[in-house]
Parts: sequence; structure tokens; C-alpha cells
Amino acid sequence: MTREPMREHELEATLTDIGERLAYPHPTRLGDAVRARLREPRAGHWWDGLRSPRYAFGPAVATLVLIVVVSLAAVPGVRAAADEFLRLRGIDIFRAPAIATPAGTAVPRATFAGGLTTLDEARRRADFTVRAPADPRLGSPDEVYRGFSATGKGDVITLVYAARAGIPVSREAGVSVLVVEFRGRIDETLFGKVAGEGTRIQEVTVNGGRGFWIEGEPHLFFYRDEAGNVWSDTLRLAGNTLLWEQGGVTFRLEAQVTREDALRIATSFR
Amino acid sequence: MSGVKRVRTDSVEGRPTEDAVLVERSRNGDQDAYAELVTRYQAIAARTAYVITGTAADAEDVAQDAFVKAYYALDRFRAGAPFRPWLLRIVANEAINRRKAAGRRPTVGLSVVEDRASGDTALSPEASALARERREIVLDALRQMREEDRLVIAYRYFFDLSEVEMAEALGVARGTVKSRLSRAIARLRAVMEGGQLHDA
Repeated sequence: MTREPMREHELEATLTDIGERLAYPHPTRLGDAVRARLREPRAGHWWDGLRSPRYAFGPAVATLVLIVVVSLAAVPGVRAAADEFLRLRGIDIFRAPAIATPAGTAVPRATFAGGLTTLDEARRRADFTVRAPADPRLGSPDEVYRGFSATGKGDVITLVYAARAGIPVSREAGVSVLVVEFRGRIDETLFGKVAGEGTRIQEVTVNGGRGFWIEGEPHLFFYRDEAGNVWSDTLRLAGNTLLWEQGGVTFRLEAQVTREDALRIATSFR
Repeated sequence: MSGVKRVRTDSVEGRPTEDAVLVERSRNGDQDAYAELVTRYQAIAARTAYVITGTAADAEDVAQDAFVKAYYALDRFRAGAPFRPWLLRIVANEAINRRKAAGRRPTVGLSVVEDRASGDTALSPEASALARERREIVLDALRQMREEDRLVIAYRYFFDLSEVEMAEALGVARGTVKSRLSRAIARLRAVMEGGQLHDA
């Protein structure tokens, strides 16, 4: 061993030497891979175009929509509906009058945000612990997608269960069950939900933590990123939804099942 | 000294105008122009990520994610600014966040490629052994350092970034680069000599 501390020039030469010898990766086709990623639909909504670099005013548009909806909620007579304001770590659920939903042309199969991957791969690569239901009624997901949150800061993992016995296939998305997971943080992200009057919201306990059971019409979410920008997303199946937070991650289980069934599936998340 | 040659495929010199043109076209939605930028900087992006993550597979993954995020962040890119350090900043953030989110051990598994045989080295066996021993000591210390310190050292000694580029890539004032680097070197020495790491 060299006992004497290295002189400055020796240390610098050694560092340069290491820099030349590190076992770096040698990507050669990253250009193609990135181009393919950019061509993937980021989500199947009309407002996705607003997220392109050409439309930096997207967040402002979403904010305006939110202001309109919140203003509507302030009209006497519907104020009572807006009074119910629940909070789940970073998630705010607003009740408001019915919202306009996109024209009801049923699509055979919706597209989901991100690139197609496998559950194992998603577990390895996501920036949080990805969980999936172990409930035998569901089995393994048919498709798994990994995309970015609208803020571009975290992963969004979507598990798709095409058709499962006893669980109706959604008219909107053409699948039975959908699970969406992403990192949701307590003080940084506000995640709002505007629900129509035909929607019931109930507070529930899921795996020891707080959650919400949402039943009824299609829902539209609004949430705020760290920079204060407001973004929107919809619940995809227009069915019943269980929303809960576990270990810093927000889970969304969408399926046309009863509350008890949904809670049972949620308990099986591993 | 060794059969491994330093590869310099990402030099910014002589083509800043081209970068600016490609960036402008990318901002207007030209994904082929952006793919060209990716090809141009994929090597240094993956290398930077590797210095932080310590595994080649993670590094490629990080580089790819960083390029996608950079594309969607192009509207925040200051027109006329150099693209490479701006990109490296996104790469480094992505790599550091990923490591922290994964709750990985504080040390990383950086490794070096050693000479196959003494045949292709100009050094005497003794000098060669000494150089190897020094590499092992320094590399072992680098593995234990904070990502941020390793990054400063890598920008200066591995990738030969200019002070101006380092300032841009680190997001600090130009005058701060020198002190950042000397603090990182001091901490490197402290680890090498078995001392404690002290934050400035």
C-alpha cells in the first residue's frame, strides 16, 4: 500500500486515468429509442397536445377550466354539493355540478399513458415500489404501461386487466379493471377531483391508510404540481373507483365492482 | 500508458451553431432533429449517468428518460445557450433522483477496465502496478462519495468540461465551480485516508 498521501499531480493523473478506464455504457441507438418514446401517445386525451413544448400555456388553460368549475360550484343551490371537500394526503376531492364529458362514442380499446412494459420491468424501473393485486379473480395484468406524470418528474404505472369473469368490461375503455399508481406527495402536490352530482364519495380505510370510494359517473381529476401548475386527468373506466395512498404512492383501482369487492382487491396488493 | 484511448465524441467546439439549429427545429416539433441531438450527446449523457448510478444498465435507462424529459422541457431552454451542459443538468438530476428514490446503498459499483496484458503498456511492471494500486484506492473512495461530489470530479477530470460548462451543468455561478471542485477533492482525500466525510 502507498502510505504517503498522493501528491496533487499524482491524484489528478490517477483521476484522469480512471476517467479513461471506467466501464461506461456505450449506447448507440438512443436516438431511435428516444424518437420511439416521443411518438408514443402520452395519454389519450385532447389536452395532451397542450403539453408539447409548443403549447407552454397548457397549465394556464387547465387553471382556467378549474376556475370555471369552482365558480359554478359557488352558484347558490349547488353550493351544498361543493361543500363536501375531502382531503387525502395531497389529494383534494371537490364536489361540483355535473361536468361535460367527451361525446359518448364508445371506443373499443383506450390507449394508456407511456410505453408497454412488463410488471417485473416496471417494478425494476419505477421510482417507487410498484404493487399489484394478488387477488385470484384478477390474476396477472394483461398489459403494463410505464409513463411519466404530467410534471415529467415521476413514473406513472398502469396495470390493465382486459376481461375478467364477473367484472363488466367498461364501455369507455374496453377493459375490466385498471390500476394506476404514481408517487403522490403530501405538501407538494394538490390532486383535485371534480365529481358530477351523480357521483358518491365515501371515506374508507384501505390497508390501514385513508382512502376514498367513488361511485357513479365519469370523473375528472385536477392536480397541481410543485410549480403550482394545474393538470388534468380522467378516471378512465367511468366506473367505480377506489383511491388510496400507501407508502407515499397514490393507488387508483377502477372497476365496476362493489365497494367490498374493491376493498378486498386493494388488501391483496403486494 | 494504456491501450485505452480517451474518446472525445461530444466536443462542443466547432458546432454550437448546428446545435442551436437542431434545438430550434426540435422546439418546433421536429423529432428527427431531436434524434440527431440525442445521437450527438448519448455518449456523454450515459457516462454522466454512470458516474452517479454506478451500473451501465441504469445509466442507459436514465439517459433515455433524461432525453425524453429534456424534449418536453425545451420550451424552458434559453435560446442560444449551449445545449450540452443544460442536458447534463437534466441527466444528473434524473440519475440522482433515481438513486435516492430507489433507496440504494450509499456506495456505488463503479468499475474500471484494466489492461489485459502488460504487452500494450509502455510502463514498467513496477510503475504499472503502482498506477493500478492508486486507481484502486481512488476509485474505492469515489464509490463512497456523495453523488454531487463525484459529479464535479467527473466533469473536470473525466469529461474535461470547461469551467463555464461546469457552471452551467451544475447550476452554479462560475466563481463557485473552483470551490466546489476543491471541496470535492478535499473530501475525496479524506475518504482515501480513512477520515470522516464533512459537509462544507
